Amino acid sequence: MTIIRLTAYINRSVIRSWFFPSIMITVRAGVLLRPATLRFVMSDNALNHLRLLQLADSALPVGALAHSFGLETLVTLEVLTVPQLEPFLADYLDEVGVLEGLFCRTAYRLAANPDQTAMAQSWLDLNRRISAFKPVRESRAAGAMLGRRLLRLVLDLEALPPVERALAVVGQEGGDIHYSAAFGLAGGALGLDEELTVPAYLHQVLAGLVSACQRLMPLGQSQASWLIWTLKPVLIRVAARSCHQTLEEDAVFSSTPLIDVGGMGHPMLATRLFMS
Amino acid sequence: MPHTRLTVCAQQPPLRVVRAFHLGDGTALTHLHNLSGGVLGGDQMEFDIEVGPRARAQLTSTGATRVYRHRAGMPDAVQRMQVQVGADALLEYLPDPLIPFAGARYQQATRIDLAPGAGLFWWELVAPGRDARAEIFAFERLQTTLDLTAEGRPLALERACLEPQIRPLTSLVRFGPYRHMATFYICRVGLEPDRWPALEAQLNNIADQMSRPGEMLWGVSTLPAHGLVVRALSYSGRALPGGLAQFWRIARRELYGQEPVLPRKVY
Repeated sequence: MTIIRLTAYINRSVIRSWFFPSIMITVRAGVLLRPATLRFVMSDNALNHLRLLQLADSALPVGALAHSFGLETLVTLEVLTVPQLEPFLADYLDEVGVLEGLFCRTAYRLAANPDQTAMAQSWLDLNRRISAFKPVRESRAAGAMLGRRLLRLVLDLEALPPVERALAVVGQEGGDIHYSAAFGLAGGALGLDEELTVPAYLHQVLAGLVSACQRLMPLGQSQASWLIWTLKPVLIRVAARSCHQTLEEDAVFSSTPLIDVGGMGHPMLATRLFMS
Repeated sequence: MPHTRLTVCAQQPPLRVVRAFHLGDGTALTHLHNLSGGVLGGDQMEFDIEVGPRARAQLTSTGATRVYRHRAGMPDAVQRMQVQVGADALLEYLPDPLIPFAGARYQQATRIDLAPGAGLFWWELVAPGRDARAEIFAFERLQTTLDLTAEGRPLALERACLEPQIRPLTSLVRFGPYRHMATFYICRVGLEPDRWPALEAQLNNIADQMSRPGEMLWGVSTLPAHGLVVRALSYSGRALPGGLAQFWRIARRELYGQEPVLPRKVY
C-alpha cells in the first residue's frame, strides 16, 4: 500500500518540479524506501515521460506538418506578420486552449472507464461534440485525420484496450476521431500523468502552429524556439483552467472569428502550402 | 400551397409577436417586436418557437436589438430561445443586428433542434456598438451560446464570451481590423451528403468575390452534417445584410428550388 501511495505522490511531485523529483520525494514522503523499490518507481516514471515526449513530438508521423489551421490565409492576406506572432499565439491559447484542453482531459478520463459500453458511447458523443465546435471544414477534417492516425500509431506501438475500443466503435458507427481526444485517450490508456498529458498536447498544438509559421513567413529557428519557450507559462495556465470544467457546463468559451473566416477561405487561395 | 398559421400561445411585454402575413409560397412572415425599444439591464426574455411539421415560417424583427447600458445592481440582460423545427418544416430567422451599447451586459442562449427533413436559414448580425458615434467595442460583456442539433445530434456549437475590456477584440485571433460580424446557418436535414461540399464551393466563390481584405471577409464551410455555415467580418455593417441576402437567395434556390421572399428592408 505504501508503495502505491508513493508512486502517485512521485507523479504529482514531478508536475511541480520536473527537475527535482527526488528531493520532493525525500522531503515529503516520510517513508524510507528501499533503493531497489525507488529505482523501479523512478524507471517507470521515466518511461512514461519519455513516451509522452515522443507522443508530443512534432516529428511524430501523424501528418501534423501538413496543416496550418487557417493561418495560411491570414498570412496570405497580410493580416498576420512575424512581430504579431507572440500576442497572436498567446491569445490563440487563451481562446482555444481551455476548450481543447478540456477535450483532451475528458478523453483521458474515459480511458479509465471500466464500463466498455458507456465508454464507447461517451467516446462517440465527445467526438461529435468536438466536430460541432469546429465550424471550419478543413480544420475539422485536419484534426480528425491527425486523431485517427495517432490512435492507429499508438496501437501499433502498444496493445491498449481503450484505444482498440475507441477505434472499433468509430469504425462501426462512423464519425471523427479528433486529435485532442485521441491524445487524451492515449495518455490515459498509457497511464501517463493527466496533469502532464494536457499541457503536452497543448504544447504540441503550439509547436505545430509555430512550425507552420516558419514555412509561411520569415521566422527563423531561434525566433521560433523563443516563441515556444516564452509561451510555456501561458500554456500551463490554460491547461490548469481546463482542470475543473466539464463540457456540459456553459462556462467554457472560445471564439476565434477571424481565424474561422480565414480557415473557411483557405480552399479559395490561389496557391497553398497546407491542406488547411 | 397550404398556408402556415401563426398560433401565439402566450406573450408578455416587452415582447410582442406581430400577426403573420402570408407570403406567396404559403410561408407565414412574422415580426418579433420589443415594445420597450431595447433590452434593459435585468430583462429576462424567452422565446419558445415551434414550427410544426411541413409548416413554413419566416421570422424577423421590427428593428435592431439595442442592448442598453447595464444598470448597477441589476443582473445581466438575458435572452433564451428554444426552437424546434418539425419534420419537413422550414424556418427562416432573419433578424436585424444586435447592437450592444457602451456598458451593456447581455447573455443570449439559443437551442435549435431540427427534425427529419427540416430546413433552417438562420442569420445573426452583431455590431460593435453605435459605430456612427464612434462607440466601438465599449460594451462590458456579450455572451452568446448556440446549440444547433438535428434529431438530438450536434451540428454546431458556439460558446462566445466577448469582454473587450478584458480580452481586446482587436486581437488577430478575434476580430482583428474588423468590427461587425455575421453568421448564417443553412441546413436541410436528410439532404444527400455530397450536395453540401458542392454548395460550399458555389457559395465560397461568391464569398471570395465579395471579400475585400481590410474591409470585409466572407467564408463558407460545410458543417459536420446536414448544412453549412457562412461567416463574415466587416469594418462597416452596411454591406452585411445585402451579402447575407445573396447567400440566402442562392442557397434557397439550390435547396428548395424557390427564390426567397425578402422582408421589406434595406439590403
